[in-house]
Amino acid sequence: MWAYVGRRLLLAIPTLLGASIIVFAMVHLAPGDPIAAVMPAESSQAEIEATKRAYGFDKPLPVQYLVWLGRVAQGDLGRSIATRRAVILDVRDALANSLVLALSSSLLAFALGVALGLLAAFRQGRALDKLASAIAVVGVSVPHYWAGIILIIIFSVQLNWLPAMGAANEPGVLPYLRHIALPTVALSLIPLGVITRVVRSAALDILSQEFVLALRAKGLAARRVFTHVVKNAAPQILTVLGLQFGFQLGGSVLVEAVFSWPGTGYLLNLAIFQRDIPVLQGVILVLATFFVLLNLAVDLLQTLVDPRIARH
Amino acid sequence: MRRVVTLLLATVLSLSLTGVALAQGTLRIGMTASDIPYTGGQTDNGFEGFRFVGYQIYEPLIAWDLTRGDRLAPLVPGLAESWEVRKDHPTRWVFKLRKGVTFHDGSPFNADAVVFSYESIKKKDAPHFDSYGSGQVSFRLASLTGITKIDDHTVEFETNKPTSFVPYQLCYMVIVSPAQWNKVKDWRTFAEQPSGTGPFRVTKFVPRERLELDANKNYWDAKRRPKIDKLVLLPMPEPTTRLAALRSGQVDWIEVPPPDSIPQLKGAGFQITLNSYPHNWTHTLRLDKEPWNSKLVRKAANYAIDRVGICKSLLNDTCIPATGIVYKGHPWFGKPKETYSYNPAKAKELLRQAGFDASKHPAKAVHLISTSGSGQMLPLAMNELIQKNLKDVGIDVDLQPVEWNTLLTRWRAGFHTSDNEGLNAWNISWNFLEPWSGFGRFFHSKSVVPVAVNTMPYINPEADKLIEEAERTFDVGKQNETLAKLHEIIVDDAPWIFIVHDQNPRALSAKVKGFVQPQSWFVDLTAVTVK
Amino acid sequence: MAITTTLPRELDAVAGAPMSYWRTVAWRLARDPATLAAGAVLVLIALSALLAPWLAPYDPNAGSIRLRLAFVGAPAHLLGTDEQGRDMLSRLLWGGRMTLVAGLTPVLVAFVLGTGLGVLAGYVGGLTNTLVMRTMDIFYAFPAVLLAIAISGALGPGLPNTLISLSIVFVPRVVRVAESATVQVKGLEYIAAARASGAGVGAIVRHHLLANVLGPILVFASTQVSLSIILAAGLSFLGLGVTPPAAEWGLMLNALRQSIYVNAVVPALPGVAIFVTSMAFNLLSDGLRDAMEIRA
Repeated sequence: MWAYVGRRLLLAIPTLLGASIIVFAMVHLAPGDPIAAVMPAESSQAEIEATKRAYGFDKPLPVQYLVWLGRVAQGDLGRSIATRRAVILDVRDALANSLVLALSSSLLAFALGVALGLLAAFRQGRALDKLASAIAVVGVSVPHYWAGIILIIIFSVQLNWLPAMGAANEPGVLPYLRHIALPTVALSLIPLGVITRVVRSAALDILSQEFVLALRAKGLAARRVFTHVVKNAAPQILTVLGLQFGFQLGGSVLVEAVFSWPGTGYLLNLAIFQRDIPVLQGVILVLATFFVLLNLAVDLLQTLVDPRIARH
Repeated sequence: MRRVVTLLLATVLSLSLTGVALAQGTLRIGMTASDIPYTGGQTDNGFEGFRFVGYQIYEPLIAWDLTRGDRLAPLVPGLAESWEVRKDHPTRWVFKLRKGVTFHDGSPFNADAVVFSYESIKKKDAPHFDSYGSGQVSFRLASLTGITKIDDHTVEFETNKPTSFVPYQLCYMVIVSPAQWNKVKDWRTFAEQPSGTGPFRVTKFVPRERLELDANKNYWDAKRRPKIDKLVLLPMPEPTTRLAALRSGQVDWIEVPPPDSIPQLKGAGFQITLNSYPHNWTHTLRLDKEPWNSKLVRKAANYAIDRVGICKSLLNDTCIPATGIVYKGHPWFGKPKETYSYNPAKAKELLRQAGFDASKHPAKAVHLISTSGSGQMLPLAMNELIQKNLKDVGIDVDLQPVEWNTLLTRWRAGFHTSDNEGLNAWNISWNFLEPWSGFGRFFHSKSVVPVAVNTMPYINPEADKLIEEAERTFDVGKQNETLAKLHEIIVDDAPWIFIVHDQNPRALSAKVKGFVQPQSWFVDLTAVTVK
Repeated sequence: MAITTTLPRELDAVAGAPMSYWRTVAWRLARDPATLAAGAVLVLIALSALLAPWLAPYDPNAGSIRLRLAFVGAPAHLLGTDEQGRDMLSRLLWGGRMTLVAGLTPVLVAFVLGTGLGVLAGYVGGLTNTLVMRTMDIFYAFPAVLLAIAISGALGPGLPNTLISLSIVFVPRVVRVAESATVQVKGLEYIAAARASGAGVGAIVRHHLLANVLGPILVFASTQVSLSIILAAGLSFLGLGVTPPAAEWGLMLNALRQSIYVNAVVPALPGVAIFVTSMAFNLLSDGLRDAMEIRA
């Protein structure tokens, strides 16, 4: 098993390097002079020269890449063209907001999805199952940005219950919850659908195993059957939860745009229309790194729970 | 499980809580900018930057009187008490500075501060040269060539020629605190803890999210000490977001509500303010390249636009049709030969005369537009209609939307950069508050980029002569006559597609009292109260 | 989506008689009302998109600004008019065309390219496998939505760029499924037998391998269509996809947002269209998966 863990860790390195090459290449994909892509338009000649030297723009591409990678490794992602602040600061603040939103929406989706999935499995074929399945299909099918607009119209504009945009500025848990509530609901729709389906099918699998059937036939307490199902389905459910959390982090661009939630998605969207390439690069690099590490963690966790996977 | 979830959530929340309580009398404004305008002095994001940041934190030597809505806002003494041209030296202007004014950091305002601010824009080798701020404003100060401190409260500006435009340029240069800059020695840091003399001072700066300002209790003009305690500025480029934020009570004031929502807002008790002001929303054309190098094609485009449709139907009467740089009734309007109405048949005919033909020689152009921004109104919907109007007469326009400040940056660089080479026009809204902004910077052959912003470029010796004559004339009545003649020529040359004049719609909650909408881009927030 | 595909346990038995397998699948599909309904809806949507030039009562880009935001049921405009005064029915029909092209093409590209690369990697193995799969892993380092938006952002708006960025999202996913299916099928006894009997690589791939791996890949690809449609419309919604004045559902949704308080029904229509289409694809792929007994 440790060999597997080691191999898995080693595999993450080339993946991360590959991702960094793609991010690095973005500057050179943008039309025009690469130096112009990373410098504010009104930069003085001295500033331009200094940047050229610092990033090795006069050297061949592979050298430039290594110089850039070295700086990234030290947390230097360059400066934003729009705000002229260090990109790392902008990304750090945005990442914190996105993490909270990803976490809250994953948890909401997890709580509801597990409940719905289990209910559906235990009532297979009945009305409750149909309802849960319908909710799941709607969850994965509805364009979440559209759902967000509808939530704003109902809960902010018509009912005046919840704020329509932005993050809370007042202290306290309540204002914070009020601001994050609608984006959380909008963002939880897709994972809610996915988790419900996975939980239902995992639970059904276990329920259809012969000895469970036998246990149920013997009239064993429903509670024990339930515990058994939950225990056995847990690894799969946890894996899905972990993966969904990662998707939430990258998938929140549209929801963040609709709610002006100051996360990485909002930042990315702004950076695209400002042609702020350093911020674009920074956001993607940080999220990709996070995503790879998260996937790694999920894999390793899964191996711990179920060592058979390592042998596969 | 539930306990774990609650615990996790609570931990996360408690970690991410920041901020301060809402004070009494707080005014929260939803701006159209996608970011907080530059707070380091010479601000960005166009005139919305001046409106909410530049003129609230800082002040110019000569300021706008924005207290009345029944006349064009005039220039009045700001940080200068008086100014005059030297009789012996027609290119030197003496400014007497106001005494007893202090910056937000407590340091005194004096001649050194004026010299410092001027050098931060004009003196490239000064340690305090602000390359970013300079880029924003230097084209507005094109006539100024030097500054001399006479004594602590007197400075003398030098110009490149005798010109009456000096006040029209200096009203855009705000004065920053040298003491505060010397503390941090860097404009980026200065912008995060800025110091001016204006009625509001910055207390909190969250990039891309919010700017919080407190009333400056020591403001020098007792009549203009702010009645509110606190001002909060929030960038909201998306009109629907602004509307939802207003209706859900997150802000008290929004710029440019979606016009469709105005009747409903009124019904719900919100105030809608409108006023005409010297604003022009146009497509500025590139004159050295097909198709806009042909005057016939430019006229065709001007006859193709359904201006009444834009103002009446699309924008719910929040603008008026434009058939020139200024509107009819303005002292500079004159009697232009052409009155551009909506006449697609005439447009097609003009296009045919110019030698264009849908199949053999189609007229094609790429126009850079903004997604939102100061004075830009509803750029996406309006441009989609304009694109259709032009297409109807046989001109194919490809629209490229970018963020507003990005558009401004690219515009200042002119058409001849690698980014802009493929473009044929930009859609930017302008002011004509004074002759330099209305004509001088655009239509004089010496105003070509990078000196000023004649990007087209518009080269017409006759126009040059009239601009120079207006610049030499100190008598306003005579100056107006000259500019009216100039306006007639420009309307006939049609270097722009004239489209509409905005009326600057705003929606205010019923709690906001005491606001006067002036005939200007700018606003005075000091008289406003929030109940 | 976290979908891992494993081959049905019964496949060994089925593989010998592919015809009866597909007959079983068809038999099961015919008895699944939800899937049939979804299929019928999709046929309708596809037909209306295909026949838009003939069905649409008006030119989708023509209209009078003075007749904007007409209500559903207005005279001469069955579904009202949009914020520019264009006929909504015509725009929804043409928009469906654009939305389907933008949503389906990337999955189709991914299906072809991904199957090719995945089968290659899985069948040849060794260094080729390592090279292909590790390259795919790099793209897996980015969450799908983020990758699509970032690439579109770097390339700029427009339909071709949308297709490119979405294809880049879906190819690696299909490759993974194809590779794992190929590796499993390759290990099956009858392929080993075919190899031992001296059958050529081409014949083995054609007759044995593809017949067995295409099913799961197809099912997997079908689960991605809904996501692809939501993403394609989402890119246009952000202003990164199809550009005005083209009719496209995401773009229409964004443009009509501002008018929602004047006329609530018309602005909701493009959202409903995306939702219904995406749901129909999801139901269809569910039914397909169940009928083919492929676990996802």
